Amino acid sequence: MFRRRLTAMVCSVAALGLLATGCGGTDNGGSAAEKKTGEVTFWSFVKGSDKVAEAFNRTHPDIKVNFETVPSGQEYYSKLSNAVKAGTVPDVAVVEYPQLPEFATQGKLESLDGTLGPLVDKRFPQSTRKLVQLGGKTWGVPRDAAPLMLYYRNDFFKTHKIDVPKTWAEYRNMTERVKKADPKARGGVLYTDNPGLLSALTWQAGSQWFSTKKDAWKVSLDDAPSRKVADFWGDLARKDLVSSLSSLDPFWTSVQQNRTVAYVCASWCAGAQQATVADQKGKWAVAPVPTWDGKPASAMYGGSSFVVPKGAKNSGAAAEFIKWITTDPVGMKAWVSSGTSSMFPADPELVPVTKSAFPTDYFGGQDVYAVGSKSYDAVVPGWTWGPVMGTTNTAIIDQLPKVAEGNVKLSDVLTGAQKATVKDIQHRGMTLAP
Amino acid sequence: MTKTTTLSAPAPTAAAPDRKSRSRPTGRSPRSPRKRSSALLSKTGVTAMLGLAALYTLLPMLWLVLSSTKSRKDLFATNGFAPGKDFALFDNLSHLFQVDNGIYLRWLANTVLYAGVGALLATVFSVAAGYAFDKLAFPGKEKLFSFVLLGVMVPGTAMAIPLYLIAAKAGLVNTFWGVFVPGLVFPFGVYLARVFSAAYVPNEVLEAARMDGAGEFKAFCRIAFPMLAPAFVTIFLFQFTQIWNSFFLPLVMLSDKHLYPVNLGLYVWYSSALSQGHPQDYLLAVVGSLVSVAPLIVLFLMLQRYWKSGMTAGAVK
Repeated sequence: MFRRRLTAMVCSVAALGLLATGCGGTDNGGSAAEKKTGEVTFWSFVKGSDKVAEAFNRTHPDIKVNFETVPSGQEYYSKLSNAVKAGTVPDVAVVEYPQLPEFATQGKLESLDGTLGPLVDKRFPQSTRKLVQLGGKTWGVPRDAAPLMLYYRNDFFKTHKIDVPKTWAEYRNMTERVKKADPKARGGVLYTDNPGLLSALTWQAGSQWFSTKKDAWKVSLDDAPSRKVADFWGDLARKDLVSSLSSLDPFWTSVQQNRTVAYVCASWCAGAQQATVADQKGKWAVAPVPTWDGKPASAMYGGSSFVVPKGAKNSGAAAEFIKWITTDPVGMKAWVSSGTSSMFPADPELVPVTKSAFPTDYFGGQDVYAVGSKSYDAVVPGWTWGPVMGTTNTAIIDQLPKVAEGNVKLSDVLTGAQKATVKDIQHRGMTLAP
Repeated sequence: MTKTTTLSAPAPTAAAPDRKSRSRPTGRSPRSPRKRSSALLSKTGVTAMLGLAALYTLLPMLWLVLSSTKSRKDLFATNGFAPGKDFALFDNLSHLFQVDNGIYLRWLANTVLYAGVGALLATVFSVAAGYAFDKLAFPGKEKLFSFVLLGVMVPGTAMAIPLYLIAAKAGLVNTFWGVFVPGLVFPFGVYLARVFSAAYVPNEVLEAARMDGAGEFKAFCRIAFPMLAPAFVTIFLFQFTQIWNSFFLPLVMLSDKHLYPVNLGLYVWYSSALSQGHPQDYLLAVVGSLVSVAPLIVLFLMLQRYWKSGMTAGAVK
């Protein structure tokens, strides 16, 4: 439907000067994109990927998708990156939003302009499109959005007559009251091993860590909104009003042991919460994430997209598969068939599909997806991830555990990450905006 | 605190808490108690250090054993170093061996092939090569040996990417051979075997064998090889643990989960378990880790005798 000759847009690198290395390889994509049959290799670590591949194979006799489980995290991205170098790439791979620009700028992805570009333009809101489009081209198709929400223990809040905060000032107040009500309990968490939530909170406050101007990257990790957020959370952590924990088992242990009674997380946390701490069923509720001025504003923590890596052998069939698993109601249903995922589709039209698959009893019958939808609508547009997120994240994570100890200010952590990021961008030969 | 100081204050000698600092100037004349105390001190010091080291290595193991016996709820609800309320070890084990059509057993079998068979062959090659470097004369011998030493210097992880690129050219990516073949090469083993051969196999014995009409191959197989048994075990254990622990090479090389070694499989479970709301996978990774260390412990206990004699061999010469 959206076929356009790929050959017509052969690596117009000049048009997107910010792509440092561009694409050097041969361009046999023309014929491959036309073909919509054959085998497709599919790499993913997202739960439900096996089910989606099975469902696709059942309904599409001309294409056979071979799903391969891969580990998640930085290890996966180095694996994918090396596969591009060696020419042994899968036809479809999952890439989370923060990592997508890094792959795109290094010329490791096939542009989807000739295949799925129009679909992306049509189906997704601007704030989400911005995460997969770079230099005027489309590099991936969003699967899920991850709008922020506030999770809180309804029973605890009711017993101690604590109000659900609407602004960050009220949030701070809430953390104080939680600690007073139960000296062991905390009303939030500053993750020590995951900068994703911190960046989402700065995004919500109107910060733009990265932007592109013509051919150049502008990096502003420590702009004014970002500093405001960092000072707020750094202070909460230092005063022990929120706990400072790893987002893995220490965090879930604290939830299970009633030591975390409220936290900010994305939509997907609902499923994780329900599965990991099953016996607190009925005790939790969700609310819109607090904002600075009381008006709705949100951001995303997590979320993933699907790409066609450079050198993929069957990009035509790959595009067909990606289209089905991201924008087709049947495909979307296959993702959540297990009934444990609270994944929020990036395509707003598909929200009813995932909503109907997620049981509401854990959250006391509350419509979690309605809160998610409002949050998704309020995502501040304009956010772009950077071209060296591995470096940026490492620079933040190295310092994060020290914030609660009071040795390091959170805003200084961002300044340090700013320097490391700028240095790495220069090191890789990309241009920086003055 | 306050009680002890008031009690010891009227005493004629120094206060008890200060004994350490005072004992030096006052305790100079009677020699033996001082000697004894310093010996005692160093003994307790060493014991304490060893105790700490033992704790450092055993505590994670204790956590692993205890956590493996817990139910998913207890895993998060109870202290990591305390037993859980339910004893769920057998449930966890049966879940581990059944999940995904018993993929865990497949991973274990793969690991045994990669590490066991791989290390066995690598050791045979290493011992033969080391022996040849020590006993035989051939042109370019020392130059070749410096190549081997060069291989010792390059860390295994640094080799993973080049190996992957070569394997891609040879079409071995995502096949059994992609991980198995690199494990057959063990330069450090060649170096060790040469040292061992010099120490364990006297030239006279080989002379005698040759006099009796044995060819070079027969002399190696029948005479030298048995004498190199401790070397064999040492090198085998070295390479076995190296392949067993190697992570990055299988990570980049393999994407078919049926070919995964056990550590990569456990990592797949662990890495996405909690972030994606599948805590049962987290528990699987914990129990799977416990099961996967068992063979290693058994192997080391079985081969400990050889291993020890191998460690010190050549130390005198």
